[in-house]
Amino acid sequence: MAEVGMFVRKASGLVRAWSVFDAFIYAFFSINLITLGLYIFSFAPFIPEGHLVIAIIISAVFILFEIVVYAMLISAMPRAGGDYVWQSRMLGGGIGFVLAATGWWFILWHWVPLYASMLAYEVVVPLLTIIAGWTGSKGLLGTALWFMDVNGLFLTCLMVIGLAFVYVGLGMKWYARIQKTCFYIAMVGLATVFIVLLASSNSSFMASFNSMTASLFGAEGDVYSSIISQAAQEGYTPVAWGAMPIWASMPLIPMVVFFNMWPNWGATLYGEVRGASDFRRNFSGMALALLVTTVLAVIFLALIAKTIGWDFYHAANWTFWSGSSPLPVFPYPGLLAAFLTQNPLLQVWIIITMSAWFFGWAGTVFLSSTRMIFAAAFDRVLPEWVAQVTPKQRVPFNALLLLAIPSIITSALYCYTPNFATYTLDATVVIAIMYLGTTVAAILLPYRDPQLYGSSPVARYTIFGLPWIVVAGVIFIIFLGYNLYMWIVDPVYGVNHPTSAVYMVILYLVAIGLYVGSKWYRRKQGIDLDMVYKNIPVE
Amino acid sequence: MTRIFFATDVHGSEVCWRKMINAGKFYEADVLVLGGDMTGKALVPIMQEGNIFKVSFLEQELTATEKDLPGIERMISDRGYYPLRVDEEMVEALNQDKELVERTFTGHVLETAERWMRYADERLSQWGIPCYVCPGNDDMFEIDEVIDRASHVHLCEGKAIELDKDWTMVSTGWSNPTPWDTFRECSEEDLLVKLEEAMALAPGMDRTVFNFHVPPFGSSLDEAPELDRDLRPKFAGRSLVPVGSHSVMEVVKKYQPPLGLFGHIHESKGVKRIGKTICMNPGSMYEQGVLLGCLVDLDKNGVKKYVLTSG
Repeated sequence: MAEVGMFVRKASGLVRAWSVFDAFIYAFFSINLITLGLYIFSFAPFIPEGHLVIAIIISAVFILFEIVVYAMLISAMPRAGGDYVWQSRMLGGGIGFVLAATGWWFILWHWVPLYASMLAYEVVVPLLTIIAGWTGSKGLLGTALWFMDVNGLFLTCLMVIGLAFVYVGLGMKWYARIQKTCFYIAMVGLATVFIVLLASSNSSFMASFNSMTASLFGAEGDVYSSIISQAAQEGYTPVAWGAMPIWASMPLIPMVVFFNMWPNWGATLYGEVRGASDFRRNFSGMALALLVTTVLAVIFLALIAKTIGWDFYHAANWTFWSGSSPLPVFPYPGLLAAFLTQNPLLQVWIIITMSAWFFGWAGTVFLSSTRMIFAAAFDRVLPEWVAQVTPKQRVPFNALLLLAIPSIITSALYCYTPNFATYTLDATVVIAIMYLGTTVAAILLPYRDPQLYGSSPVARYTIFGLPWIVVAGVIFIIFLGYNLYMWIVDPVYGVNHPTSAVYMVILYLVAIGLYVGSKWYRRKQGIDLDMVYKNIPVE
Repeated sequence: MTRIFFATDVHGSEVCWRKMINAGKFYEADVLVLGGDMTGKALVPIMQEGNIFKVSFLEQELTATEKDLPGIERMISDRGYYPLRVDEEMVEALNQDKELVERTFTGHVLETAERWMRYADERLSQWGIPCYVCPGNDDMFEIDEVIDRASHVHLCEGKAIELDKDWTMVSTGWSNPTPWDTFRECSEEDLLVKLEEAMALAPGMDRTVFNFHVPPFGSSLDEAPELDRDLRPKFAGRSLVPVGSHSVMEVVKKYQPPLGLFGHIHESKGVKRIGKTICMNPGSMYEQGVLLGCLVDLDKNGVKKYVLTSG
């Protein structure tokens, strides 16, 4: 039989399909195992009955439904601005703006100190510590420890803001190149750590660790064992590596999603991608990132259990956060792996290559947010000037300032105001609420705009007669609902403080105020903002 | 005051064209302006095998009976493609003969354009709203004659059109070179000549609208995915590069009209001020059947207000 494909003519824009691997890299960095993952894994001892591996795997299964929802939305409505555009078209301009402005704009100010903590704990401090050990410089060691203090943290906040400013300023062309280069370096770094951990035994780690802490920090005796006993004295006993307590691990999920709920982070950018309506590619890029990250996380934790010691790893994290650890720096597994070798060049190699995980990711703090701001400006909700770019370098300078200046203020509050750090834990909650809005929009899409949905490639995906986007949306909403419930009722996550709730409400009120004010001002100018979203009837 | 509704790059989408024509009444616009690239890019064969019809579309294999065909053909044409009923012999012939494909294409493009003009004339005559169309680089030249024959749709390539007693619009759908060697593209030098010729027809620049298909180079309205040698988007389409025209940027900077309307780069929706000129590219979502547009109110003092629409 003759092949029945489309016959195309010469026309601009006819391009081949983009590489799934390239899409994978962006999503892979967004759920950054090393930077975000190892940071949040360090809080696992606060839920001592839970097992990280179980929480990571179960959460990944549910996040797969998030990927289905977003990949289908991107395919049906590939718009720059992502969540903002989908919500404003399906749920109304007000809801769309309020949820997206808080979730993609205001809350990212509060992510800066978190990015900075990770930069300090996982890049700057380990690097200075290793070089201090190599050179024997007390000054460098003092500088490393200074970065653990508030002044050092504020400096790293400024470094994150500066770095994100540069990345966004360079534009996606260069950021994509930087990210791809960082990907290869980061994978080499991770492979090195895996090999070092695989080739070493627990006893050799104990000896190396005790030796390094003695030479670096002047700690005496068996520091390894003393950390474990210190945690035990404080009432902490970790669950055994071989135990698989499924039910008891469920409360760890709202913690773990801090790292793996973001494979869709590039969704706001897809409107700029030609061929974004290709559902299978959208899905494959994000799902592959989630799968690879989950597998790598399990391997890494298994290697930690084998060589560093499961009890020690958790005890080190417990004592670090409780402030009772004889190890004055964050027990970053990259640093612990570096302790296993006496070769200073290999130590520096490990820390530097592993730092590529941070540098390939740091731009995400502002990049997607600029697209949301642009989309709102094109809808005339925000003023035109916020979407302007500089004439020569094409830098979205004003949008960047709207992110950078408040970020500096929130960073200062984070570093120098007691309790403000607790409010930043809402960072995940507010984004989850925005995702909830988008998922509701996705569920409504086949019914609110059947023509748009019906003419999209995703319309053919049904299960028991129901659109997959609806089924996946409902499952993801249940998952989000569970996480939101746990964040609200359980103080272990640090977000159910009344003051914190008030702070969140204030953020939403600011967004509501902006939208209402904008609508009023535009009406005064004779512009009806509702007109932006109205479907033209066809006679 | 005159209200313009501008949209562009509908690329054969039946529903977008119908929305375009209805947009005047819906948005209470006085004038409709369609930027370039009206025509579709692909023929979608619907293969007849006995009493059933098979079509490969939207990543799926569809099987239909005669009564289902109008719905399927409508879905194909709403997304900007031309449905083509064929048998196995015809498919073989099309696979073998590029000229046959070209002829078939031209036939469908012109037939569709004729139908579009009839639809537009029927409605616009009731409402008294003129529609100006300027074919773009993807539009074959034969389409100009079809538009010319319409009574309420007017061809405006290379012309100065009076939008009202104060405002004039100059237009061209020509573009700078693209990797696809399309119908209306030329060197930057030749494009500059065409632009200057069009502008020479305008009485004065302070009440002139530029309607040029290709946006100014580096304006941020012209950012398209960077492609490799095989025309595959680099970095999953995220690496964007400016592909607009230097000549267009030159004339915008030189003449500084109050308003510039552009298209060509579907993903580069936005508004940009270049000196005194407000430049707009509404983008295009024709494949989703969504008509992106700009609604602009012009008064004696200039651009009074504007809004980008998604209809």
